[in-house]
Amino acid sequence: MVPQDYGFFIDPQRCIGCRSCVGACAECGTHRGRSMIHLDEMDRFDSPQTVPTVCMHCEDPICAQVCPSDAIKRSEDGVVHAAQKPRCIGCQNCELSCPFGVPIVFSGLEQMLKCDLCYDRTSVGHKPMCATVCPSQALLFVRKDEVANLRHNKPLRDFLIGSVRVKTRNAIMVPDPDTPLHLDAALLIDGGL
Amino acid sequence: MSVFAELDLEPRPLLGAALATLALGGAVALGSRGGRWLDPALLGYLLATLFACFGVAYRYFSWIERPATRMYFWHTLRTLLSPKALKALPRMAVLTLDQIFLQRFIEKRSLKRWGAHALLAWGCMLGFAVTLPLVFGWVRFTSDGLNPDRYQAWLFGIPAGSFPLGSFQAFVSFHVLDLAAAMVIAGCALSLIRRKQDEGDAATQRFDLDLLPLVLLIAVSTTGLMLTASEKWLQGRNFGTLAYLHELTVILLLLGLPFGKLFHIVQRPAQVGVAIYKAEGEAEGRLACKGCGAGFIRANQRRDLEALWKVLELDGARHGGTVHHLDLCPMCKRRLVAKAQGARLHGAFDPFATIPVYAEPISDPISMKS
Repeated sequence: MVPQDYGFFIDPQRCIGCRSCVGACAECGTHRGRSMIHLDEMDRFDSPQTVPTVCMHCEDPICAQVCPSDAIKRSEDGVVHAAQKPRCIGCQNCELSCPFGVPIVFSGLEQMLKCDLCYDRTSVGHKPMCATVCPSQALLFVRKDEVANLRHNKPLRDFLIGSVRVKTRNAIMVPDPDTPLHLDAALLIDGGL
Repeated sequence: MSVFAELDLEPRPLLGAALATLALGGAVALGSRGGRWLDPALLGYLLATLFACFGVAYRYFSWIERPATRMYFWHTLRTLLSPKALKALPRMAVLTLDQIFLQRFIEKRSLKRWGAHALLAWGCMLGFAVTLPLVFGWVRFTSDGLNPDRYQAWLFGIPAGSFPLGSFQAFVSFHVLDLAAAMVIAGCALSLIRRKQDEGDAATQRFDLDLLPLVLLIAVSTTGLMLTASEKWLQGRNFGTLAYLHELTVILLLLGLPFGKLFHIVQRPAQVGVAIYKAEGEAEGRLACKGCGAGFIRANQRRDLEALWKVLELDGARHGGTVHHLDLCPMCKRRLVAKAQGARLHGAFDPFATIPVYAEPISDPISMKS
C-alpha cells in the first residue's frame, strides 16, 4: 500500500527538461527498460518549456471504463495500475481515451503500460524514481502536509473537460485550487476554436 | 428465488450460462450414447466440468455486457456474419496460430515469461484435450475381450481401432498425461521463479489471483504423476487414495476456473477480433489531431469511442461544442494540462511564481527514503 498521507505534486512550470526522470523511470521494476514518463516540448520554436507527465491516478479512471478486457484496476490506495498482462489485448482504447494522454500501448506486445507510481518502490516506503531524481522538484513526492511549506501554490486534484469532472490522486500546483482546472482545447489551438 | 436474489445474479448472463451448460450436457448425453459410455469413475470430474462451464459462461456473458466489451464483441460478430468474413478468415486463422497457439506476443514481452507460459499453456491444452473427451464419455478404452493383449479404443461408442498393450501407440496413450503434467510442473516452477525474481511482479501480485492457480496446477499435475508412479513402481500401493486426491485437486481447479486468473483463457481470443478491427481501421484511414494536425486515431475507433463515451456519460467532454476530447492526440492532451496550469498562473512562464527549489528544504526527519 502506498501511504495515504503522501502525495505526488506536479509543477510543469518548474521543469528544466533535463530528462533525468525519463532515464530513471525506465529503472522501475514494474516496467523495467521502458520509460513511462512523457517529456514533451510545449512549443519548440518559441520556448524552452518542457512538460513532464505522469499518470494522475484518477478516482474513476476513464482508461478503466473504456477497457474491453477489464484489465485496468485501481487499488485501494488510489493507484491506477498498468493493464494486467494476462488480460490486455492491446486495443488502444485507454491510450486514446485518457484525458491526460498517459498510457502507452506497445504494439507487438499487445500490452498497455503506464506510470503506476513506481508501485514496487512506493508500496515499501520509497519515492517514485522520477521524483527521486528530479533536480527542480517539478515532480515532488512528499507528505501532503509538507507541501504548504515548500510551495506558494497549492495542490489541485480536480479537472474539468467540457462538462466532465475528473478527480485525481496526484495534484497539479496552482494558486487557486478551489476551482477545477479547465482543460480547454482553445488554449492549445492558435486563434481559438 | 431468494438464493438468486442474495447472489445478485444478472438475468441475461444467467440465461446464457444455463443455455451453455445445457448445450454441454446435451453434447455429453449425445456423445456418450445417453450416458452408456460414461465412466463411473469420472462422474465427479463431469459434475465439476459442468459447474465450471456454467461459471465461466456466466462470467463471459457478464463480461460482454460491459459497454466497451460489447462494442468489440458485436463488431467481431458482424464481421464474421458478413461477406467480409471470407476475406477475414485466413487472417484470423494466422492470428489465432500466432497469438493463441504460439503466443508470440508473450515472447516479445519477455522470453522467460513466454517459456514458462508456453509450457503451462501447452501442457494444459494437451491435458484437457485428452481428459475432457474421456470425462464426457466420447472416448473410452477397454480391454479386448477375445484378445486380452490388445486395447480397444471407442469414439462416441463406435470402435475406433485397437492396439497391442506393448506397442508405441499404447505407451503414448497411457503416458500422454504424464507428459502434460511434466510440462505444467516445469511451467509453474519457471513462473514461480520468475515471480520471485521480478520486483514488479513481487510488488503487485496477489496470492489468490496469481499464486493460487499455480499451486493448484502443481497439485493436479503432481498427484497425476503419483498415480503413474504408484502403478509403475509401487505395485499400485495407495492408488485409490491418490486417485481421490487427484480428483479433489482437479475439482478444486475446475471450481475456481470462473473466478480467478485462469478466466483469461476465455478472454484472450478477443485479441484476434481486435487485430481484425485495427486492420479495418487502417484501411479506412487515420483522422488528424485537432491540436497539432498529426494523424493519430483510426476512423472506426474514433466513431466507436464517441458512442462508447456517450454510454459512459462522458459525452460532455467537448471543447466549444465542436472539438471532442477524443479529437486531441495524447501529446496535445498532455500539453493542454501544462497550458491550463500556465494560464492559471496568470499567463506565461514565470520562474519566480514558485519558491526557489532549495529555499526551504524538507524538514521532516521521517520523510520517505529516496
